[in-house]
Amino acid sequence: PQSLLQAYAKFSGAPLTVNTINNSWRAPKGDVPVLISEDIVISQPAKILNFLRKQKYNADYELSAKQGADTLAYIALLEEKLLPALLHTFWVEAENYCSVTKPWFASRIPFPLSLYLPGKMSREALNRILLTRGGPPLYSFTEVEAQIYRDAKECLNLLSKRLGTSQFFFGDTPTTLDAFVFGFLAPIYKVCFPRVQLQEHLKQLPNLCRFCDDVLTCYFRLTVSGHSPAGQDTADANLQKLTQLVNKESNLIEKMDDNLRKSPQHPPRKLTTLKLAAGGEESSPLNRLSP
Amino acid sequence: AAEPWPENAALYQQLKEEQILLSDNASSLAVQAFLQMCNLPIRVVCRANAEYMSPSGKVPFIHVGNQVVSELGPIVQFVKAKGHSLSDGLDEVQKAEMKAYMELVNNMLLTAELYLQWCDDVTVEEITHPRYGSPYPWPLNRILSYQKQWEVRRKMKAIGWAGKTLAQVLEDVDQCCQALSQRLGTQPYFFNKQPTELDALVFGHLFTILTTQLTTDELSEKVKNCSNLTAFCRRIEQQYFEGHDKDSSATVTARSAKRSLLR
Repeated sequence: PQSLLQAYAKFSGAPLTVNTINNSWRAPKGDVPVLISEDIVISQPAKILNFLRKQKYNADYELSAKQGADTLAYIALLEEKLLPALLHTFWVEAENYCSVTKPWFASRIPFPLSLYLPGKMSREALNRILLTRGGPPLYSFTEVEAQIYRDAKECLNLLSKRLGTSQFFFGDTPTTLDAFVFGFLAPIYKVCFPRVQLQEHLKQLPNLCRFCDDVLTCYFRLTVSGHSPAGQDTADANLQKLTQLVNKESNLIEKMDDNLRKSPQHPPRKLTTLKLAAGGEESSPLNRLSP
Repeated sequence: AAEPWPENAALYQQLKEEQILLSDNASSLAVQAFLQMCNLPIRVVCRANAEYMSPSGKVPFIHVGNQVVSELGPIVQFVKAKGHSLSDGLDEVQKAEMKAYMELVNNMLLTAELYLQWCDDVTVEEITHPRYGSPYPWPLNRILSYQKQWEVRRKMKAIGWAGKTLAQVLEDVDQCCQALSQRLGTQPYFFNKQPTELDALVFGHLFTILTTQLTTDELSEKVKNCSNLTAFCRRIEQQYFEGHDKDSSATVTARSAKRSLLR
């Protein structure tokens, strides 16, 4: 969810300061990511997106109504077909969880929370997968796993067909759908896991890989060749540059679409600084930027 | 090689008058519409324990020859294996779109229907509990009802819908209807001239919402706001369901659902 939001923020030009919080408890109700703007606190990705849209940071105003409808439909497809497999890869698959996700997560949050929180997230992920996908006629967990990965691969194929050869899903400018797809695909693409069947499948779809690389290079200023062996280093460098970026408002205005300025919906206004509190995965160099 | 479709294919659902609920009725109607569109005859059999007979625990399921298949997705694939398909004429991008819209309907409309039936206390008390266990004697009817409610609420919690209020759910339904309305536009079907399984699915859900009487009319109001969707439902009803005097016609189902849900 963090990468989704950051991508959306980049696309729509909203000025965000990414604050790392080391203690997930500080976020109200323990949910991350959390958006804090003046006095309003919003915690779920969908609500954060709505909030950004209402504040007139909208990446979608150029879309026709039909394209807006398509966006909703594709997001539903992602959540239904791709999300279970993503959750499984990160949180349930034993090798992945023990060797990558848990240490990564736990190293960023303080003891004793690091003992409890990863386990909780893992249990919630498993719960979600079993409740939504685990009914009969699939009776064993391996059958459920096989089914969700089949669905995820089909979903990736469908996305690839829909993207075709264009740069973004609706032409030349990125929209909410691009942010969502990027948010889902980037972790699969970039994080190095021991068990990587989804990543291998993704690598067979060159246009989706190209899409991720494009978004990373254009909006996150990360060169594709800076791909270090440990996935988290890439993410760290990524976020370091991101926060340097977001602190300069003029850079953000460059990132905004030209039309955004010209459109009557978006009269020039003072940009209020929004603080986006991200989860514990971010690196410590960012700490010096938080107040 | 495609095997012929037998004459005695049957679709099983719960009892129409007393037992079936909004979400199950919608799913059943969607399958019936799909089979009608493929021109495959099927008769509807109502059984109180249809849910337990089904291989996946969900209704409706069809019994064709010696095979039993449940839910729209697998049924579409099964029918395709027999050589009938509605979406062959679509190109790859359109197929992707169709699948995406079907997921949208399942994700939003079906979940909203389930929420309304099982998580909204008024509806649960007045409609769902009495209907769900009606073929069984007390106390079994209450036990089954509560068991199912607990199951559905657990699932809602896992996907994050438990925290939503009814107003938020209705807003989601509205958004979904707007999206469907935009996609349909002025065309007769979602992919222009020919109906596909998406049309069957959307018809099943929207028709049921429009014709089922609940404690409030808000849900059907959301659909009525989009006039092209109501015209779409009427068109499919006329084309595929009227003129059949069998019990499986949607109009009869709708009328009886209306009558029996009056409280």
